Amino acid sequence: MATAIEVENVVKRFGQTIALRGVSLEIREGELFAILGPSGCGKTTLLRIIAGFEVPDSGRVYLKGKDVTNVPPDKRGTVMVFQNWALWPHMTVYENVAFGLRLRKLPEAEIRRKVLQTLEMLGLRGLENRFPSQLSGGQQQRVALARALVVEPEVLLLDEPLSNLDAKLRLRLRGELKQLQKKLGITMVYVTHDQEEAMSLADRIALMRNGLIEQVGSPSTLYKKPKTLFTAAFLGRTSLLLGKVMDAGDDKVLVRAGEIDIVAQNHGLQKGEGAAVVIKAEGARMEPHKGRETVKIRGTVTVSMYVGAFVEVRVRIPGSKYEVMLDLPLDTPAPGPGQEVEFYVPLDNIHAYPIEEDVIKEIAEQA
Amino acid sequence: MSLERLKKAVFHPTKSDLEIVIFLYLPLVFILLGFVLPLLSTILSARGWEVFRDKYYLDLSWDAFSNIVEYKTIRNKIIITVKGFDLGVIGNSIVNAVLVTLTATLLGSSVAVLVGFYRFRGRRIFAALAYVPLLMAPFVNAYIIQRFVNPTLGYNTLSYIISKFFTEPLLGKTVIISFKNQAGVFLAQVLMFYPIVYINTLAALAAIDATLVEQALNLGARGFKLLRKIVLPLIVPGILAGSTLVFILSLEDVGGPIIFKYHKFISYEVYQSVAYQATQEIAKVASLSLIMLVAALTPLVVARQYLSLRYYARLARGAPRPFYGLKLGSKGYVLAYLIVLPIIMAAAIPQFGIIVLAFSERWVGALPDLLPADKLFTNFEALLSIEGIRRSILNSLYYLGQAIVFIAVLGFMAGYATARARLPGATLLDTLTSTPLAIPGLVVAFSYFVFFSKHNLGGFFDPQNVPYGVVHLLVLAYVMRRIPFTVRSVFTSVIQTPEELEEAARSLGSRRFRVLARIVLPLTWRGLIAGILLSSIYVLAEVSVSVTIGALGGDIYSSDHLGPITFALLQLTTMTTLVGGTQPQAKAAALAVLLMILEATVITISSRLARRGQALITV
Ligand SMILES: Nc1ncnc2c1ncn2[C@@H]1O[C@H](COP(=O)(O)OP(=O)(O)O)[C@@H](O)[C@H]1O
Ligand SMILES: [Mg+2]
Repeated sequence: MATAIEVENVVKRFGQTIALRGVSLEIREGELFAILGPSGCGKTTLLRIIAGFEVPDSGRVYLKGKDVTNVPPDKRGTVMVFQNWALWPHMTVYENVAFGLRLRKLPEAEIRRKVLQTLEMLGLRGLENRFPSQLSGGQQQRVALARALVVEPEVLLLDEPLSNLDAKLRLRLRGELKQLQKKLGITMVYVTHDQEEAMSLADRIALMRNGLIEQVGSPSTLYKKPKTLFTAAFLGRTSLLLGKVMDAGDDKVLVRAGEIDIVAQNHGLQKGEGAAVVIKAEGARMEPHKGRETVKIRGTVTVSMYVGAFVEVRVRIPGSKYEVMLDLPLDTPAPGPGQEVEFYVPLDNIHAYPIEEDVIKEIAEQA
Repeated sequence: MSLERLKKAVFHPTKSDLEIVIFLYLPLVFILLGFVLPLLSTILSARGWEVFRDKYYLDLSWDAFSNIVEYKTIRNKIIITVKGFDLGVIGNSIVNAVLVTLTATLLGSSVAVLVGFYRFRGRRIFAALAYVPLLMAPFVNAYIIQRFVNPTLGYNTLSYIISKFFTEPLLGKTVIISFKNQAGVFLAQVLMFYPIVYINTLAALAAIDATLVEQALNLGARGFKLLRKIVLPLIVPGILAGSTLVFILSLEDVGGPIIFKYHKFISYEVYQSVAYQATQEIAKVASLSLIMLVAALTPLVVARQYLSLRYYARLARGAPRPFYGLKLGSKGYVLAYLIVLPIIMAAAIPQFGIIVLAFSERWVGALPDLLPADKLFTNFEALLSIEGIRRSILNSLYYLGQAIVFIAVLGFMAGYATARARLPGATLLDTLTSTPLAIPGLVVAFSYFVFFSKHNLGGFFDPQNVPYGVVHLLVLAYVMRRIPFTVRSVFTSVIQTPEELEEAARSLGSRRFRVLARIVLPLTWRGLIAGILLSSIYVLAEVSVSVTIGALGGDIYSSDHLGPITFALLQLTTMTTLVGGTQPQAKAAALAVLLMILEATVITISSRLARRGQALITV
């Protein structure tokens, strides 16, 4: 597929803050591309640079191969949907949606047809004459979307468009958005700090941290083959423990944490080094898995609670301050607090990396 | 890097957007050339430093204080004459301004705390009365105060009240108390300017969130301690904004010195050098202007961590849930009614006095002589029938009409650009559009006079070129001095409108010009109109430039003079006779009433427009 957007080595400072430290990306035509990362990592800044609201200090932006780094936002053909939706309070729904078409000097009848068609598509018929203040949150969000879609943009940029809605509505609109994107085939760049949202929506995800991209790939690649400590720890329900490498091979590594040894996938560790081990909670069992390499983890249960579809247990690793969070299937009898138990976790879900102090601090802050 | 951005912005307008470049740099260039340049070039050429050695200008010996109060008794008459000090022109200006500021601050902030922080019977009356002095009636207000406290022959009004109601019936003695010279000017200025501190403090109080105070009350803070620990720190910026402004106004006031006929003030020296074209004194007056300017800016620099200049011209937002007040105790009631109420009433005297005088024939003795019922409107009729006065009204409207076009257009541009432009020069524009508020008007008048006598674009701005040069200079001065109100008002409205509303339109393909027309203006027009109204009213009430440059076209005896309303007020209050039977001062009062009605209307509309919960902070 052809490249829709290319971002090349973009750096952006705001006074002392460095929002982007050299970001490069390629986004393909027709894909739903998510930019994911904790708040403050530079997602909005990156999106605004693609849209043309900010000019990078260095680096370039290309749309369909054309250098647009200094092209103002109104001449780019990218349309943005804002976190607060930015509906014009002095215009009705109809006028809001028609605005972009009027700029394109279409005949009034044509405008009317397109506006009504788009409103229809988004389930907003009948609300044409309302003002934004007379709409519910979900309706406002859809109007914002309609206003953007009606001009049939080549690229749609969305900055956390669902974050101001309640959880239920968010889920529903997420599904609708995905359908719409596939139906219309437009390129969408979707910024979010919600990993579930990114995972469920995106064809590909760029995970960002601190002004840099950690990893780009499909949701399952990022989840299953995290290249960095941050990617591993950020995605999914994870625990982090620190230990020392007792033995290291190309693929696997043996790490001593507290009084136990844990086998993990090796991401560049050498024998004798300190290691940061990320364990995903998902897929843990009370007995070894069949046909899958599993790792034994022993410890004392401190908490055990039902969380909907599974039981969450927290296990203290003997001889350490670390607790590992594990999700057990509902059908296993869950061990109670105080019990010393052995658990089995698929090796796929355990990753070990060299220690990066700043990442560990950041992860700790988010937990 | 920023230079590169500037180049990019200016030379590749299709790539950046031309509109924001124009909005930022057009007003910037205009202010730099039309305000900063004339001021700096004149002020920096100050050479007349002999003023510091001349006793007339600076006298720091003890003699300066030898005549503060004179006390005489003649048979059963006690004659007290308060004259104040004489430190020479420079010393008088500065020390008087300091004293006026301190007194006004003390009065204004305590009245505001009483009215704004306590609940008691009559609070509304107190609050309403305290607003009255904000209605500007230049010269005539000082005249009324002068009537009250100045004349020594016979009774002045104050002595009349004291003697007739207190000392004569009780002690059998007549008391003649009279304020003259510096003391008179001091008294007039305190009464004229203390409401500025009052209203700024009141606005700061209104912005205090009730939860803050309630929290403190919960923790057991009471009375004076509550005020000192919780309330005072929150209102200090408001108080300071008010008092620094009073300081500037006192320095530049010519009304007091002229009306009390005591001319040893910098303001008067500067005034007369321009109004009477005393060109041989330019070196000296430039030095005096520089001293006045430095003095005016000093408190601002000292207090800068607590306030920004913007504070003056903004419309402050009220608290989400304002504090409704503590109940006033019985001691408080005594204080309120015996001390604070008389002060508030004293400060409202000029405005009430003006209204009475407007319907009077003359005011020579203790009390004015009212006009007979069938001739009650004689003074108002004179405004239209006497050509010189009518001309001044027409002049004012004519100048306003021109100035307002520039103020609206440039003010909108500058207000929008300071809020939105991220180009080099945006902060400079922000500073420059507030600066004129802190520059004494007489410094502007003098600088314009000197600078444009030399450089005037082929006579276009030449003050000797009557009438056109004078008219153009007046309009230019009005634009520069009054544009801050519009800029700040627009700025506030734009800032309160999320930028995403503009960006959404931009990203749909709209040029900024269209965004301005379709999104920004519809959402900020209230702020724009409120600002324009405020600017207008301050154009009409402008004194410093109006009575100096405005005097260059002759006086109001002639039917084609160039002076605006305030110039007419000055001439009417200081002249002894004029056709039409009644005293000229009575006609001045009628003109002032007209002006005050206009002011009250505009201020009401303007604060309505600025929407709920917002209080007007300004002079
Ligand atoms: N206009 C701005 N001025 C100053 N700092 C900014 C501005 N925009 C963003 N930043 C800073 O840049 C960093 C990245 O911000 P942002 O892109 O908004 O992050 P995100 O959208 O991922 O939460 C933050 O530290 C933020 O404070
Ligand atoms: Mg963001």
